[in-house]
Amino acid sequence: MNTKQKYWNPVLETLPREKLRALQLKKFKRIFAWTYQNSRFHRKLYDVAGIKPEDIRSFEDIRRVPKVEKAMMRDVQRKDPFPYGDALCVPLEEVSEFRQTSGTTGQPIYQADTWQDWEWWAECWSYILWSQGYRPSDRVFFPFGYNIFVAFWAGHYAAEKLGCEVVPGGVLDTQARILKIQELKATAMMATPTYILGMADTARSKMNIDPTQLGIKRITCAGEPGASIPSTKQRMEAAWNAKVFDHAGATEIGAWSYECLEQPGGMHVNDAMFLVEIEDIETGDMIEEPGRRGKMIITAFDRLAQPCLRFDSKDVIEWDSERCPCGRSFRLIKGGVVGRADDIIKVKGVLLSPAAIEEVVRGIKGLSDEYEVIVDRLNDIDRIKLKVELLPGAEEQTKQIEEILKDQLRLKTNLGYRIEFFDYGKLPRYEVKAKRFKDLRKAKEGGK
Amino acid sequence: MDIKEIAKRIELMVTTADELMQMGEDFPALYRNTKRIRASLKMLEINVSDVAALEGDEKASS
Repeated sequence: MNTKQKYWNPVLETLPREKLRALQLKKFKRIFAWTYQNSRFHRKLYDVAGIKPEDIRSFEDIRRVPKVEKAMMRDVQRKDPFPYGDALCVPLEEVSEFRQTSGTTGQPIYQADTWQDWEWWAECWSYILWSQGYRPSDRVFFPFGYNIFVAFWAGHYAAEKLGCEVVPGGVLDTQARILKIQELKATAMMATPTYILGMADTARSKMNIDPTQLGIKRITCAGEPGASIPSTKQRMEAAWNAKVFDHAGATEIGAWSYECLEQPGGMHVNDAMFLVEIEDIETGDMIEEPGRRGKMIITAFDRLAQPCLRFDSKDVIEWDSERCPCGRSFRLIKGGVVGRADDIIKVKGVLLSPAAIEEVVRGIKGLSDEYEVIVDRLNDIDRIKLKVELLPGAEEQTKQIEEILKDQLRLKTNLGYRIEFFDYGKLPRYEVKAKRFKDLRKAKEGGK
Repeated sequence: MDIKEIAKRIELMVTTADELMQMGEDFPALYRNTKRIRASLKMLEINVSDVAALEGDEKASS
């Protein structure tokens, strides 16, 4: 095998745009027909909208297909078969993989995949890794807590598929992971930007190890936008003396986008595997031209057990006017995923909804209605402080309340918090709209 | 690169895998391993056969 070949798929990645569009239309028809025939949820949705598989003849027809939102999937999953609900398109015994979303915006979404779907996940990731220079000679370290969240699982399987040697750094702590990277002379790794920076800091400050000397050549990031933010990318690359690449994916979607070796200031959409549409948040119009931001509506063409069809991801993106010098015909999104259409933010790579915190705080007796959340960054590590008020008479229960708060918050948001207690009446009161959430990371970035 | 020829070979492998799965009804090791191979073959179809078929569609319509 020629490892100098720069494309994972030299046919699809360089297919002329008009052929790519024809392929996309054909594949959309196929997944729509599959979904219509096999998902009771989708069939009902499309019947109500008056659209059937034979009605899909053009991209204009595709835009008539109703979008699916995360909240709809929560309703679906209250139905049979447990735990996936009636959007499941295959018999339960065909399901080989369970993953779930983080649940910070409410009830987590459970995602079913067959083994073929899982092969597809790894295939999507293979495009990513090959484009970023991963080759069979790489020894790839995964400093990742393998669990119910999809995160780097598919990256692991794709690295194996490419022929890389994979080192699962699962339950090791940060220092043990650094020592293992050093011992095994790992050449690549994957993690969130926060953790990549945190590892470098730990190596320097606690272990007297210079991370630039560890031999890591390439790093693939996910979970946070940092690898597409130039200053953060620069920090990571300087800290590890490595090339840092971004990619985007999601549990319900798949790994749909990647930055290539050229680092063009954006990411390629894998147009052969996904249809990405950009919708104006205000008007709902489709955005075809570069330079206008909107939210992403996405379809995965080949995911069968629990299809992703015109999913309203709420990721904010924009098309790039430039073609990438790498020669791929896959379109670029400028600056990666630049935000979310709602107010959810990412902390330590986890989506965090202020509403989830409120739900916990107001469910605990002894606490007032008032609270404040402050997110900041110390030594490149995100941290969250939660300020709460004790109701009069609850002072003696402070320790107990703190334990309950921490447990509940961990359960609901998958994050750890520093709790600060105040006497009743000390936190600000608001009229009309409260400003309880302060993200000091943004303020710092804006001030630079 | 002759993707039509590659697609033909993939089709042969798919046919063979499907036949093996039928033969494996009472042979779990044959059935389950072939089913995995079938999933990998699907990735070949996605990577090659779909686009090869597209060229066939274009010729048929012209």
